[in-house]
Amino acid sequence: MGALTDKYCIVGVGETPHMRPSNRTTLSMACEAVSKALADAGLKPSDVDGMTSYQAGDSTTSAAVATSLGMRLNYSLDILGGGSSTEALVAHAIGLIEAGYAKTIVCFRSMNGRSGRRMGGQVPGGPIPIANAEGDNQFNMSWGWTTPAQRFGMSAMRYLRDTGCTTDAFGEIAIAHRLHASLNPKAIHRTPITMEDHHRSRWVVKPFRLLDCCQETDVAAAIVITSREQAYDLRQPPVFIMGGYARTMTDNPQWNYSRREIHYVAGNYGWKRAFGMAGISHSDVDFISCYDAFTFTTLIQLEANGFCGRGEAGEFVKGGRLQIDHELPSNLSGGHLSEGYTHGIQMVIENVRQLRHRADDACPRWAEGIHTYDRKAGCRQLRKARICCGMAWGYENMASCLILRGIAA
Amino acid sequence: MSEYTKPLPRPTATSRPFWDAAKRHELMLQRCRVCNRFIYYPRDRCPNCLSDRLEWQKVSGRGTLYSYTIVRRAATRSFADKPYVLAIVELDEGPRMTTNLEAPVDHIKIGMPVVAYFDDVTPDHTLVKFRPA
Repeated sequence: MGALTDKYCIVGVGETPHMRPSNRTTLSMACEAVSKALADAGLKPSDVDGMTSYQAGDSTTSAAVATSLGMRLNYSLDILGGGSSTEALVAHAIGLIEAGYAKTIVCFRSMNGRSGRRMGGQVPGGPIPIANAEGDNQFNMSWGWTTPAQRFGMSAMRYLRDTGCTTDAFGEIAIAHRLHASLNPKAIHRTPITMEDHHRSRWVVKPFRLLDCCQETDVAAAIVITSREQAYDLRQPPVFIMGGYARTMTDNPQWNYSRREIHYVAGNYGWKRAFGMAGISHSDVDFISCYDAFTFTTLIQLEANGFCGRGEAGEFVKGGRLQIDHELPSNLSGGHLSEGYTHGIQMVIENVRQLRHRADDACPRWAEGIHTYDRKAGCRQLRKARICCGMAWGYENMASCLILRGIAA
Repeated sequence: MSEYTKPLPRPTATSRPFWDAAKRHELMLQRCRVCNRFIYYPRDRCPNCLSDRLEWQKVSGRGTLYSYTIVRRAATRSFADKPYVLAIVELDEGPRMTTNLEAPVDHIKIGMPVVAYFDDVTPDHTLVKFRPA
């Protein structure tokens, strides 16, 4: 096991609603999310002495949030990053606390991801991006490569060709995550879908249909990390950080795709580290989260992280395996596909809630950890939620992972 | 002729020979004089052996289609005129290029042989694209 396994905990989580549009600043949303995460943990602003965030040049800063909330920080940092950053900032926080740079750290992401700057850099009504960048950007934008759908579509097409997998595997993921969103009052899309709906969904970028793509939203979310000793006296059952990997990269990580196989994604290089640190095997995992910017990104990460063999993910997800009450429930809040796109942080938050046994569902006493497990009545809490493996995707070439355990139930 | 509104490359000192060659309708890649590998996209050092002794060589323009996707919903207005094919071409000399493939969509198959052509999109800018060989 890793030297710091189970020494650090996630003790608070909070978020704004998913809004389209928010008509608010990223600062306003970040302050709401951080305040809610502190309240959830039972902490005052003065109890927190570190703050980190990630963004794509589209958000507020730790300094602005600290000023607004009357916090004096011993440590602050805002990084450039999207998916896979939350888990990396958790790893970062562990190191900071261990070394004594801070004792309790809040990490946030705030973005007007729908009404402001969208992924790929387009601002609605704004200027057309120009290809003046260094490195590979000069060698893709001019040909019309600008969005994640286009980039990930390329590895998806090659994956389908190399493995014989069909887009029905994508449908399985869309259906599972939508089912979970139907149990989540916070989700944007709550109407369950069928494989037929997936077949009928219009093409966006081959091989992705509309139902394969996530829901961009305006949202902010925050989590609080502290040491085990601090965590025991706080308001919620602590969730322990068992292991992970952080923004692990493949070789040739830029977009010219010169690495050997484009669908040999970064998780392949990371999962032994995460499971080794945690001291568990795949069969110990009760549920997962798996970054679903697109259905395909979930699919490919399952095999990259060793849940099935290479090229076997299409078979693996068949028959509803990723659905609640089946073998390996995935993205229990509905994920990016159906709850709303948060650059990954929302998946960590849902995992924490499940591990506390306090999924915020339709059960009247969920906040006390009392659930009906009646899916028809809107309960989305798993009966058995002790260990979760969260798999995060930056892009094919970068990934993170966070294995967590709870003490409740 | 209507104005060209798609993004255009702004060469750097490192990449300029590639763009100048394209304007002459030649596909040129860097090659490492020490380990002999071809390199794409342009850079200052060989990523294999870190030598800075790189030279520009004209290459065949032949390769195979490594992967592709068809963009039916463009992300920006300038690409919204019609569906287009994004492609990764594996050149016979080794490196892969991101590019466009001009081909009827029903005839596109991963692994098919392709050959470079030169699209003079403005008087000052030429993009290297590919079509079936």
